[in-house]
Amino acid sequence: MNATTVETLETLRKKARDAAEPSQLSDEERLQRAKDAFLANLDSEMATHLESCIHCGMCAEACHYQTGTQDPRYTPIHKVEPLKRFYRREVDPLRWLRRLWTPKLTLEDLEAWKPLVYDGCSQCGRCSILCPMGIHIQQLIYVTRTGMAAAGLAPEELQGPTDEQLRDNTLFGAGSEQLKEKVEELRSKGYDIPLDKDKADVLVLSTSHDLIGDSGTLEATVKVLNHTGVDWTIRSDAFESSNYGFLSGDKAAKKKISERIINAAIDVGAERVIISECGHAYPTLRWEAANLHQKALPFEVQSISEFLAAELEAGRLKVTKDAGGNRTWAYHDSCKMGRLGGAIEEPRAVLRAMGVEIKEMESHGRTNLCCGGGGGVIMMPSAQELRRKAFTLKREDVDNTGATDVAVSCGGCRTTLETGKAETNWNINIHSLVEMVADRLAN
Amino acid sequence: MTLLDFARGPGFQIALVILLVGIVWRILGAVAIRFSKDLTKPRGGKQSIRGGLKAVLTYSAPPHELEKNIKFQHYTGYAWHIGLFVVIFLFGPHVFFFENILGFGWPHLPNAVIMVIGIVTMGILVTLLIRRMIHPVLKVLNNADDYISWTVTFLPLLTGTLAFYHLGARYETLLALHILSVELLMIYIPFSKLMHMFMVWPSRYRTGTDFSRRGVEA
Amino acid sequence: MLGNMPEKQTLGEVLEQQGVSRRGFMKFCATITSMMALPPSMVSAVAQSLESAKRPSVIWLPFQECTGCTESFTRSHSPTIEGLIFDSISLDYHHTLQAAAGHAAEDAKHQAMEANKGEYLLLVDGSIPIGNPGYSCIAGMSNEDQLMEAAEGAAAIVSIGTCAAYGGIPKANPNPTGAVAVRDLIKDKPIINVPGCPPIPMVITGVLTHFLTFGSLPELDHEGRPVAFFGQTIHDRCYRRTFYDRGLFAESFDDEGAKKGWCLYKLGCKAPTTYNACATVKWNQGTSFPIESGHPCLGCSEPDFWDKGGFYEPLSATAFGPTSALLAAGAAGAALGAASAYAARRKQKKAQESQT
Repeated sequence: MNATTVETLETLRKKARDAAEPSQLSDEERLQRAKDAFLANLDSEMATHLESCIHCGMCAEACHYQTGTQDPRYTPIHKVEPLKRFYRREVDPLRWLRRLWTPKLTLEDLEAWKPLVYDGCSQCGRCSILCPMGIHIQQLIYVTRTGMAAAGLAPEELQGPTDEQLRDNTLFGAGSEQLKEKVEELRSKGYDIPLDKDKADVLVLSTSHDLIGDSGTLEATVKVLNHTGVDWTIRSDAFESSNYGFLSGDKAAKKKISERIINAAIDVGAERVIISECGHAYPTLRWEAANLHQKALPFEVQSISEFLAAELEAGRLKVTKDAGGNRTWAYHDSCKMGRLGGAIEEPRAVLRAMGVEIKEMESHGRTNLCCGGGGGVIMMPSAQELRRKAFTLKREDVDNTGATDVAVSCGGCRTTLETGKAETNWNINIHSLVEMVADRLAN
Repeated sequence: MTLLDFARGPGFQIALVILLVGIVWRILGAVAIRFSKDLTKPRGGKQSIRGGLKAVLTYSAPPHELEKNIKFQHYTGYAWHIGLFVVIFLFGPHVFFFENILGFGWPHLPNAVIMVIGIVTMGILVTLLIRRMIHPVLKVLNNADDYISWTVTFLPLLTGTLAFYHLGARYETLLALHILSVELLMIYIPFSKLMHMFMVWPSRYRTGTDFSRRGVEA
Repeated sequence: MLGNMPEKQTLGEVLEQQGVSRRGFMKFCATITSMMALPPSMVSAVAQSLESAKRPSVIWLPFQECTGCTESFTRSHSPTIEGLIFDSISLDYHHTLQAAAGHAAEDAKHQAMEANKGEYLLLVDGSIPIGNPGYSCIAGMSNEDQLMEAAEGAAAIVSIGTCAAYGGIPKANPNPTGAVAVRDLIKDKPIINVPGCPPIPMVITGVLTHFLTFGSLPELDHEGRPVAFFGQTIHDRCYRRTFYDRGLFAESFDDEGAKKGWCLYKLGCKAPTTYNACATVKWNQGTSFPIESGHPCLGCSEPDFWDKGGFYEPLSATAFGPTSALLAAGAAGAALGAASAYAARRKQKKAQESQT
């Protein structure tokens, strides 16, 4: 990926906007929907969080948008203000008293906060790690976005793909047709691809992002899967790991979109569902889908890095030790798969198996610094200045290790880092983990 | 009934009742709303209670890479809390106050040590108030509660010091004002962010369990 | 003893008759001058005034009292100058000290009041029961009526002892006799409060001397007490203050701390809020005072000192009420919290159903 990335992104953004369906609701209805969404999604855990804030402002230090811009409006807990105000008037134990001085929530408030919770938040969760009161601020911002989306206030670039996925089961125009095309292309290269099998142990997910442009992720994934010999399939009607419902906050859409995967996995009798190199897809399926579905999932959800580590341990994956010569390696944790997913050790184990010695960044693993483009930020033109400011911090963190090469295991991070690399003429090589493994398979 | 009689008698009883009603109301009213059960399988199948309990402690010490620019706030914040607790619980006459209620007491520090700690604590509070008023992040967050909470916390320290040194009015008046300022604090706690002294524990616990069930250390 | 001396004799002549030397008299004047916090230059003025002072008529009315105040003044192992001064005033009416009784005594009182109308000094000890006048009468006349009658022609009133000054022990909760202080009933005459249970003898003498010397009331504090004797707290002058400052407290009677003479704050000493001269003038001709003898100050010169929460409870102790009230408060909080949460849950359920 190179300079074409930026152009590709612009194309994607336009497609996204075009796919958005305009809201037919009145202002009152929209505000009511936001309030209902807040009510429905607040729980006792969030209540303890909202009751604990002491306005210390320390969370500002954890947020790359705040520290990158020094703009205090991006202070994480400040992003939660509409939700807090609603809580005080409608759910707070002392609400009858607080109504005397707490202003009512208005649609204008939500509109004013839209850039703070969307442009200014990549849902990275670093604030939740720092807050001394243990407030899970990321989760509170998440609920705020849910209310915004219910009011039809999610950015077009995020709501559009949500509507498209829900309506057409495609993303940026890429769906089963495009997958089949790609599969044919790979088959003509000699790959054996079990497409649309009736039954399989492993259901593999890709993403439309891999079908657009010249991404090699799907090819690498196929190569590795066949090497391990696992019984796998990929379904043309349920291969999309990306869930724009997560990014826009449209909870109903998020549920329906994830249920396509769940139903396909059950249909196929899968024991495992593998997500290949998509960030937000992982927590959505691993840590939320069962709750949306209201039932425990009868299969395991693994990110590709977890799959690779498990297969290495089981002895089904064999790799050569090839760190690529005189290189200094860093590893960039994806927020969604690392801090919010829990797959922190696995990618490192895989890299070690390939003879790669990682020089850890100052903020790594649980405290890693976001690439700046997650949570949908990379998709919004209005957010690009913010992203660039955040990227400066990320680049500094990587450069401080003296790294010449950085490995990532998330498509979104990869796109964001590549974009930043192009914009700042960064002299570094960015690698996808699964592609690295595919290049080092031992026989 | 003199001011001191009121402060030591009905004043305290009223304040204590309001404090108790308010605390229980607010805690129960918050933790008893809708509870979401997590149907996802925790990583490794492990119960996350230990992670939650660990978080209760570890969130007092943020990772160093995250707090590079807030060390001053972090350390002075803890310093004045510790100073306040030392003054409240280790000053002789205060120990006698608790002994009167609980039926048992404990050793106390020399008065001079307490006075120094109290004055340093007040100095830190004033410094942090100024910081709150000029810091760009805090200016965005500040509300009336922040200032009132500061005041009702500061007043007992101030009036206590004045009473001890017999500064500013007759002793019985200063003592009455000191006890009344504590009663004001007691009454204000349930209606303010000062409730964090109770809420911080379930808040940290739940975040700790959330992260640790995902396999992320607390 | 009293009421028999010719009224034309001055105090100086009386003292001389009693064999008090000039030197002794001046020594007394110097002492009393400094006690009243007057400058040394006033000594001769005091001496002159006392010497030439006409023996004023003094009416002493005892109401609901224990006679402790009289005992305090008159107790002396050897005659004191204070006692002689006292002897030298024309004490025209005093139950305990006078020889006369019955109607004869009452007539003597009324005669003195008539003869010295507007000029006599009215001394009162004991509180006045207004709940039921029958609680305390003299010759069939209620204390209240007696007070009102005698106050009319008085130049000034001195309330001796905490009972007369503030109500004292009869007024203590639940105040069954409806006891009140002199100042609660008399609003149109100058009143000097000399509280204490009992007051220090030197204090009353100082007040009388001031009155005799200057013909006016000494400077009084917010509770009507002479500032010269009640201007500072016991705590301000306590010789154990250094232990209070260091936080060294006796924990119980006769423990190590008590034996070492440590501060008695924990044992309930009310000295910090008690205004009197005990710590400097002391008792029994300067022998000692309660704290020096190892007992916490009761605060006996303060109004309502019986109802300040207990003699053995430290000043920092507060009344926190019956445990049942606190348990009820907790239960009320729980009920309110549960109700609030229940109402919130219902709202939330409804909202959840509206979510597709």
